[in-house]
Amino acid sequence: MNRNRLVGAAASAITLTLALSACGNAGGAASSPEETGPGEVRVWLVGSDTPQDARDYLKETFEEENPGSTLTIEEQAWDGLVDKYTTALSGSDAPDVVEIGNTQAAAFTSSGYFREITAEEFETLGGDDLLPGFVEAGDWEGKHYALPYYSGSRVVFYSDQVLGDTPVPTTLDEYVETAVDLRTKDLSGVYWPGQDWYNALPFIWENGGFVAEQAEDGTWEAGFSSEGGLKGLEQIQTIMTEGNNAPADTNETDLQVPFCEGQVAFLSAPSWIQWSINAPEEPETPDGVPGCASTYGSDLEAFALPGKDGGAAQVFAGGSNIAVAQKSARPDLAMSALEILLSDEYQTILAENGLFPAKTSLFEGVDQSTSIGAAAAEAAANAKLTPASPKWADVESQMILQTAFSKIASGEDVKAVAEKLDADIEEILNS
Amino acid sequence: MSTTLVDSPAPPRQEIRHRRRPPYLPWLLLSATMILLGVLTGYPVLRLVVMSFQEYERAQLMGQPAAWVGLDNYAEVLTDVEGFWVVLGRSFLLMVFLVVTTLVLGMLVALLMMRVGKALRLLVSVGLLLAWAMPALSATTVWGWVFDTQYGVVNNLLTRITGDDWFGHSWLLNPLSFFLILSFIVVWGAVPFVAFTLYAGLTQIPEEVMEAAQLDGASAFQRFRLIQVPYVRSIITVLVVLSMIWDLKLFTQVFVLQDIGGDRELTNTIGVYIYQTGMAQGHYGLASAVGVIFVAVMLAIAYPYVRRTLREEEL
Repeated sequence: MNRNRLVGAAASAITLTLALSACGNAGGAASSPEETGPGEVRVWLVGSDTPQDARDYLKETFEEENPGSTLTIEEQAWDGLVDKYTTALSGSDAPDVVEIGNTQAAAFTSSGYFREITAEEFETLGGDDLLPGFVEAGDWEGKHYALPYYSGSRVVFYSDQVLGDTPVPTTLDEYVETAVDLRTKDLSGVYWPGQDWYNALPFIWENGGFVAEQAEDGTWEAGFSSEGGLKGLEQIQTIMTEGNNAPADTNETDLQVPFCEGQVAFLSAPSWIQWSINAPEEPETPDGVPGCASTYGSDLEAFALPGKDGGAAQVFAGGSNIAVAQKSARPDLAMSALEILLSDEYQTILAENGLFPAKTSLFEGVDQSTSIGAAAAEAAANAKLTPASPKWADVESQMILQTAFSKIASGEDVKAVAEKLDADIEEILNS
Repeated sequence: MSTTLVDSPAPPRQEIRHRRRPPYLPWLLLSATMILLGVLTGYPVLRLVVMSFQEYERAQLMGQPAAWVGLDNYAEVLTDVEGFWVVLGRSFLLMVFLVVTTLVLGMLVALLMMRVGKALRLLVSVGLLLAWAMPALSATTVWGWVFDTQYGVVNNLLTRITGDDWFGHSWLLNPLSFFLILSFIVVWGAVPFVAFTLYAGLTQIPEEVMEAAQLDGASAFQRFRLIQVPYVRSIITVLVVLSMIWDLKLFTQVFVLQDIGGDRELTNTIGVYIYQTGMAQGHYGLASAVGVIFVAVMLAIAYPYVRRTLREEEL
């Protein structure tokens, strides 16, 4: 009896020790504060916007300039980015350099998630040459936190094989009419998924509406139910219900799929979708996405969305900012990576791939000889941003706009949807 | 204690001091588990309760001090009719529907497994296990493809069968349709556990009792109602409570399905609502308050059943 108890006690003591030591070791990998010497840098890039050439250049140049250190690029998805960054950047294992959508930057700059970029560093990285609108988007209370990375507005793509003899529209109203005329059971005049709100903004702006404006006393007022806003929304509903075959509750990812099936006449998409459309049907890498380089990609053309009175419409200024995490383990190496990302050579690679670089002096690097490049330049010149509020990222992450436009795509009453949308936006922006 | 036959006028002082050694061994064996549980489960719960009394936003995650706001968070949550109460009500209705469907189907499958031959039973068991083993995330994604608006299998089949054009019919846009699809997915994943457990319980019923009832002229349904159900009643109670708790705190399937399509505001259940308020919007204090209220609600649900089960065991 006593011997059993002894054995039992010994067994439990051993178990306890093992369990506690396992716990202990798991938390034992503490990161020691580093100042110099080789280290590891993690760069988080989002989506497939950054071309492979640029990524290779970044890695090679970094490892040349910082012998012994390594740079790893980890690709993230746009979906759920805000949540991911909130947890990752505030944790103990934060990445070093992160790409963030220009509309989402304010949520993080205002909460201290990014490392401040001093005035001297700002001058070295480009100073006045950096895109002013994007610099603003990444500032908070007069200090720089997130710098511009690239910008790219939406243009309208088409293929002559699908369009045939129909002339390219020159005003916004013509655009709507052409879309409705072209639509058949199998062909969308304009392919517009219901949750795509980025494409809706030009209609609001061109008709004299606005997204949200801040009054003198600081309260925000949303403008979707304003007169101009309603006119824009009605045009949008016309296209969505009468000129479009896309589902009302999907979003704007993988737009090259229906285009490559010949089911789309006009595709309003960011300029880098030309690479997805022009990808070969048999992708070279195992995880490559097939395109239609030989069919509809072969005569791919584009034009800037026409404005109300001709010329280019005011479109949404898509693009990203880039920042160093406040909790980065090696801020010195992170800044070195940031310098490369904003260097002339790197930005020129982006320009050659159809993206608009962060430095205005490099704009001519973008190939404007093709209709796509020319359209992109025209659109970029007329691009506008979403309201500069740190709570705007919450509006986006709560999918309020997506839901509202899904409802419009399903044919619901525009005025009712607009008023609810405005109420929801104002609630968040003014909270 | 024990009564003696001889009743003495005063109880004799017979208190021999039994110095029993305090039982140290059970506590020692339990200590490892208790420490682990305390750290992994206890600390987060404590943090949750503390956070529900603070104003905790994104900035606080980066080190800014959190202000104490007392019961403000709770007041805001409990007065938010359009948000919290609607979501809670919706989650309850969904839970009732899911629990009833799961148990009915699970019971039917268990009864089926008792009737069929060995080979077919093995086939059914393998099928159930595969459904149960599939992670919720993958299962929901695949089900989402099956019901996809443009390229889904279901739309394709329906077009062939009915002749109407079902292509482009969105299954997730209408909230009721959304919950129908969600129910498919959840019940599909929950029935195996219920079926296996009930099957195990039903096979324990002695054959003689069933035969005797049959000889006495009881119909199949009467045998089911009067013999089988009472025999497995404690199992059914456990399954009901577990299902209620699991279905009320449903998260993965709803979240992934909302990502695929549908209107978030009209289809939020309480699990996703807490995530949206906390992680997505950054209102951690508010979300913690909702979490604490939710825990209280679930305890209230589970308490009468647990108490009844404990009492039955004592008998």
